[in-house]
Amino acid sequence: MGSRPEARDRPRSTETEHRPATGGARAADETDPGDGGEEVALRVEGLSKTFGSDEDAVTAVDGVSFSVERGEVVGLLGPNGAGKTTTIKSALGLVVPDEGVVEICGEDVSTDPRTAYRHVEAMMEGARNQYWRLTVRENLEYFTAISGEDPAAVRDRHDRLLAAFGLRAVADAQVRTLSRGMKQKSSIASTLARDVDVAFLDEPTLGLDVESADELRRQIRDIAAERDVAILLSSHDMDTVEEICDRVVIVDDGEVVVDDTVEALLGVFETQRYRLTVRGVEPSAVVDRDVAVEAVTELDGRVRFDVTADSDAVYRLMRELDRRDARLETVETVVPDLETAFRNVTGDDGPDDRSGTGDDRAVDGDSHPGTEDDRITTGGEGA
Amino acid sequence: MSPAESTGYPRLLRAVVRREVVLFLRYPFEALGAVVVLGVLFAGIFLGGTALAGQAMADSIEGVVVGFFLWVLAIGAYGDVAGDVAADASWGTLERHYLTPFGFGPVLLAKAAAKLLTHFVYAGVLLAIALVLTGTTLELDLVTILPVAVFTVASAFGIGIAFGGLTVLYKNVTSWMELVNFVLAGLIAAPLVGNDLLLALPLVQGSALLQRAMRDGVRLWEFEAASLAILVGTGVGYLLVGYLVFTLCQRRARRLGVLGDY
Repeated sequence: MGSRPEARDRPRSTETEHRPATGGARAADETDPGDGGEEVALRVEGLSKTFGSDEDAVTAVDGVSFSVERGEVVGLLGPNGAGKTTTIKSALGLVVPDEGVVEICGEDVSTDPRTAYRHVEAMMEGARNQYWRLTVRENLEYFTAISGEDPAAVRDRHDRLLAAFGLRAVADAQVRTLSRGMKQKSSIASTLARDVDVAFLDEPTLGLDVESADELRRQIRDIAAERDVAILLSSHDMDTVEEICDRVVIVDDGEVVVDDTVEALLGVFETQRYRLTVRGVEPSAVVDRDVAVEAVTELDGRVRFDVTADSDAVYRLMRELDRRDARLETVETVVPDLETAFRNVTGDDGPDDRSGTGDDRAVDGDSHPGTEDDRITTGGEGA
Repeated sequence: MSPAESTGYPRLLRAVVRREVVLFLRYPFEALGAVVVLGVLFAGIFLGGTALAGQAMADSIEGVVVGFFLWVLAIGAYGDVAGDVAADASWGTLERHYLTPFGFGPVLLAKAAAKLLTHFVYAGVLLAIALVLTGTTLELDLVTILPVAVFTVASAFGIGIAFGGLTVLYKNVTSWMELVNFVLAGLIAAPLVGNDLLLALPLVQGSALLQRAMRDGVRLWEFEAASLAILVGTGVGYLLVGYLVFTLCQRRARRLGVLGDY
């Protein structure tokens, strides 16, 4: 996981959570920073929302609970219709939940929204989300002022934001004249223009080229750390999530199925996993033996074995194959990525409308390493 | 974190007015377009009326000018709130106005009030054009005209806020709004004979008082107390009802999960 060096350097929670499918209630003391604990900036507990009634009723969110600490970047993932958007909008009070409590910096969004909104901003509409006929700086000033802060008093913050997002040269240009990537950056900058403690970013890198997306990820990461802002982001882009998120919350069918650090999630799949492709052997002859074969795939005269086990098991498989005069074609080490982890957890082809984007190294079998009843069950913190 | 306490409201208003002014100056062609269209419309009414009705038009021209001035104000007050909500929803900026410590209602009210200020400018310019075009003179006592006009358009503003709420909920209510546009014109021109219940309708009382102020030179303090009470009562009443409808609509929109969808 060399792609996340900056994440490794940062302090992170020692808590690794494994929530049951029902999204059970969190322990009350998690809201309390306590000794040595991090301060919870966003707490979502038992959030449920059903749209429609009777036979038309659709439960979009069913008992979702999670939290985000200050300075933490958490990715909210899920397949299409999993309930991500409803979760975010309910957490913000833009959708009224049927049940559940949302606290932003300890303020209840439902009972005291105006106090809670002192602490939060959201980019819900990507590069839109701002006035295109105003300049970049005017947008920053406008959205600061309508939150009750004096834009003139926080000009330094705006200058730093503009510099951090590489927008200084276009600060006085109307947003509509900017490139897609610059518009996106301007939108995020205007979201962070206020002195927020919590920011929701929906698809921050959507539609950006590789280079711009890379740059934006770094900038979001830096700002979260520098300003100690809790960021909850949803993204289709697994690279974004893998690179900048400390933790991932995966929702499926309206429920939280994973709430874990990215490292821990990837770590599950990092247990020695190999793929051997051979010729001249019947697959059944091998898998019936005492060999931990994860999946067997027959490929036009060849047989592919996916093995997830310690080295002894691999050697046993090798010996078995050798004994049967199998001709070894390739041996691969399967490198896990978040996409694979996501697909294993949700049984989905990819987050949202992505399909076929994952590597073909995904396991083919029904059971997966470290999974139990589709819930990730790693213990302790990840790498 | 500076909380949005009472000191924040002037800042909020300043910010939304500033945005209006910036856009006004940045896109003068658009702003002038509205003035030109309404100016041409008035010229059409005046010239057409003179050609068809001759002396009758000349006799009532002062009333027509005052009515036109009020109508420009009223359609601005009424149409801009809903228009602003629809525009914000389509631009993806509506939800950001919800997430402020001021609350959604006060922010949208501030935005609508900023728009109304620009409409006073438009209406003033158009009034000047109408006066020059018709060669009419009117009593322009601002101490009387401004409060009467403000309370008069407050009722239209209330209807606009209600439609703003309906726009949040149903998104496209344009055809209904066009219908109400005609109704407003009718209310401004409503004759005040025989039926006191008419006075409870928006614009009617204000229109009558404004006619008396601008045509006959009646000063604010010369109006009967009951007349002023009806003016203030209808203005504030429709404003409150409009705000109530708006609040109910945005609450329902949030329950249905359609706030900000467009």
